[in-house]
Amino acid sequence: MKRKVTRREFVRLSVVVSAGLVSACAKPAPTEVPQPTKAPVKATEAPTVAPTAVPEVPKEAPMLAELVKQGKLPPLQDRLPKNPWVAPVAESVGKYGGTIRRAFRGVSDRWGPTKLGDRGLAWFDRNLVMQPRILESWEVSEDAKVWTLHLRPGMKWSDGTPFTADDFVWSYENEWTNTDINPAPPGAYTTGSPRVMMAIEKVDDYTLRYKFAHPNPLFIYKVGRGGVPTPGHYMKQFHINLVDDKDALQAAAQKAGFNSWSEYYVDRNWWYMNPDKPSVMPWLAKNKLSEELFIMERNPYYFAVDPEGNQLPYIDKVTHRLFETPEVLNLWVTNGEIDFQARHMSMANFTLYKENEAKGGYKVFVGKSAGHLAMNINHTTKNKRLREFFQDRRVRIALNLAINRDEINELVFDGLYTPRQYSPLSMSPQYYPKASNAYIEYDPDKANQLLDEAGYTEKDAQGFRKWKDGSGEIISFTFEGTADTGTPDADAAEMVSKYLADVGIKATYKFVERSLYEEHYNANEIEAAWWGGDRTVVPLAPEAPIFRGTMIDRPWACAWGRWLADPSHPAAEEPPADHWIRKIWAYWDQISQEPNPDKQNELFFKILDIWAEEVPMLGVLGEAPAPIIVKNGFRNYLEGMPIDDTTGDEHLLNTETYFWEEPEKHV
Amino acid sequence: MLGYVLRRVTIMIPTLLIISIISFVIIQLPPGDYLTSYAAQLRTMGDIVQQEEIDALRQRYGLGQPVYVQYFKWISGIILRGDWGQSMEWQKPVRDLIWERLALTMVLSGVSILVSWFIAIPIGVYSATHQYSIPDYILSIISFVGVGTPGFMLALVIMYVAMTAFGLNVGGLFSQEYLAAPWSWAKVVDMLKHLWIPVLIIALGSTAGSIRTTRANLLDELNKPYVETARAKGLPEGRLVWKYPVRVALNPFFSTVGWSLANLISGETLVSVVLSLQTIGPMMLRALTSQDMYLAGSFLLLLSTMTVLGTLISDILLAWVDPRIRMEA
Repeated sequence: MKRKVTRREFVRLSVVVSAGLVSACAKPAPTEVPQPTKAPVKATEAPTVAPTAVPEVPKEAPMLAELVKQGKLPPLQDRLPKNPWVAPVAESVGKYGGTIRRAFRGVSDRWGPTKLGDRGLAWFDRNLVMQPRILESWEVSEDAKVWTLHLRPGMKWSDGTPFTADDFVWSYENEWTNTDINPAPPGAYTTGSPRVMMAIEKVDDYTLRYKFAHPNPLFIYKVGRGGVPTPGHYMKQFHINLVDDKDALQAAAQKAGFNSWSEYYVDRNWWYMNPDKPSVMPWLAKNKLSEELFIMERNPYYFAVDPEGNQLPYIDKVTHRLFETPEVLNLWVTNGEIDFQARHMSMANFTLYKENEAKGGYKVFVGKSAGHLAMNINHTTKNKRLREFFQDRRVRIALNLAINRDEINELVFDGLYTPRQYSPLSMSPQYYPKASNAYIEYDPDKANQLLDEAGYTEKDAQGFRKWKDGSGEIISFTFEGTADTGTPDADAAEMVSKYLADVGIKATYKFVERSLYEEHYNANEIEAAWWGGDRTVVPLAPEAPIFRGTMIDRPWACAWGRWLADPSHPAAEEPPADHWIRKIWAYWDQISQEPNPDKQNELFFKILDIWAEEVPMLGVLGEAPAPIIVKNGFRNYLEGMPIDDTTGDEHLLNTETYFWEEPEKHV
Repeated sequence: MLGYVLRRVTIMIPTLLIISIISFVIIQLPPGDYLTSYAAQLRTMGDIVQQEEIDALRQRYGLGQPVYVQYFKWISGIILRGDWGQSMEWQKPVRDLIWERLALTMVLSGVSILVSWFIAIPIGVYSATHQYSIPDYILSIISFVGVGTPGFMLALVIMYVAMTAFGLNVGGLFSQEYLAAPWSWAKVVDMLKHLWIPVLIIALGSTAGSIRTTRANLLDELNKPYVETARAKGLPEGRLVWKYPVRVALNPFFSTVGWSLANLISGETLVSVVLSLQTIGPMMLRALTSQDMYLAGSFLLLLSTMTVLGTLISDILLAWVDPRIRMEA
């Protein structure tokens, strides 16, 4: 505990130091470093900086400087926005050059390169609070319905075309609201149920207003990795409404193997399938992701600088190499052929990675994954006796107290996890110790006593408790999961099974194939599941679906969660009128109207109070370690960072600032 | 003969159509579709995927339509336009995907088969002509071990040894620096440096079996009266063995050309998966597990075509090699 607080203090300190560094600079500071404010709502009032404020001596990558000299590229000050984004650096200002080598599993595994390169309107600082990125600043109205977005004047697409409010309006008119391209409107721009599309208003070239039909206070989280418009000046050639020769476009679509122009449009719109499409990413696709080696190279018009005004990114090139099996990837890692990667790195191979650190010339950083190890007992199971059992709060507390979490942690996971309930991580702005520590102590006597109090007193010869209905049958249920026998997760499940047997409850772990698991929870044919939960780094960002029970593949409230989304579904069921899950939903309704982040947190803590009180799951372990391979000499990425989808996995700390100590050795 | 071939070809067409229907239906049999397996895979990795994106994709790929509609769209595309559909997982036309990998796959499998025959036939002949000698016992033991060792296991072991003991770069057919490079002499050399491992592993797997087959068949032939006669007439032993009984003993090699053709494409699947080779096998396996149905269906259709064609070829070859076989109705 204490150590973590120190780390956070350190983080805060270092951001302040780097901010100080900027202001101490003799040159006019290009902009304010985004302060780690708790209230991003009133982000900076667009600082007006004269064009001359850009550093007089352009600082750019040598390969770009060369192109400028040859006259093939405009000078740096014409490529950067007037007020570029100053990316905070985690360790120090870096050096230009070098390549990052990574691995991927094919086009459907586009998420590695995508998360590395995606640049959205805003991004997390190290306190996990949203700060402007592509945007210069934003404001939100009192009723959280109107968002005013300020762009960076002078910002350019990667082909040199200005990036303005018109691009957003073009995308709104031709793409986001076009039902051929988007049969359902994109979630980030809609509110309510059924979904209502927002309205867009261009105030001037660099100011936009998004007007939502309902309050949308969490909007900024939805554009952390997105919200970027489409480059209309390029994409219009693929849009049926915008070309003169419509037959030619249809023919081109057919020739490329598509049934309609919209499929062709969507295909051309994927940055990783179409290297010609302009973007605002730090690195640009040089070929297609469907090839064996996917190559990305620096964007000469990238809109960010480091605190000393050097244009980012530092690294010249990123490559992703295709692999078929994890074994081959592991060999590449141990052979030192992977420079920086968390994706596809499994904790089960931690020892292997560690043993080969010296040989492969890398370090294994340990980050915090959002995942938890937990049993989702299905409060809405079709088995009536079991439902009564699970819905009894005393039973849930008893089952929680029956588990010896420390022993599982030591025996199965070398003590690398932390015993806790499913709850926000300790580094999260929504961290709430009361919920994390609810009933995690090991107290089998108290557990037995509670089960007796709940009326399950009768036992058979082996000590298993019987149902209350007098049938004489023992209480028994299956918890299923996709962790195969022999994996650490399955070992932990077997141990949980043993602890529950100790208090007279027969719970059997069953490995099921993933598609069968899907079938089971979709039909609410699941008694309990062995799959904890993630989305715990900034739970508000993905709208806390597991805490609300609406993400039914973690089926603790399977039929109720389904009912909230779709009351007419055959597997849906309305929760009882006085059930506490309705209170959770009611608090969430308030959060989704509340523009003030502090008040959002307070309301979320009330949901966590209910979780601490009712303990809906059997949470076992959390703060799961996640291995990240970091080659020696690779800088500006720190150990202990969250590894989570919401915060971009290993790319949280701004990939454009990562650099090599000796770039010439990593060409 | 010509009439026979024609008749066989005519039967092939309905056979293939039926195969295509069955394979398409089988691919669709597991619960869910490509998108559910895609979404589930993402969720396991902790990625968030929006339902509307899934819905949009489902509509785009026409996955909501009944199976027979999807089938007719696919099969008519193949027959009328040579369009095999789009792979959902690779976001690319199936045709391109198959072509890209076909050449490499054929080279790999072809070379492996040749290497395997080249080793197996002489050893088999030697084993049979020197039955119950010490070398025969040794070779028999080795080939039994070879039959019993799964190729992927061998691949794992060789890969580990190559990497730890010799520091070789394993996995894939090219070093990273040549992956994106255009074809050049240096790239060919680099490929050859990688190629020998998979060729050896794939070849070894079938070599052992072939040695046993050759040995057993030849032993049957060696005791037959015609061998006796030839020997009585004073034919030198070497010429005698190679010219008469060996030719007959090789019949199984020709009659299995039917499978070999399909094997050319998918025979090395497991080994390729383990070694991360960019051949057709691993792609087919993944297409099947992820229910990427047009890709998987096309592979199955291609394989069945190869098998049907191969059977025809082997029948013709056999008739040509073995004069005892006659063409009747």
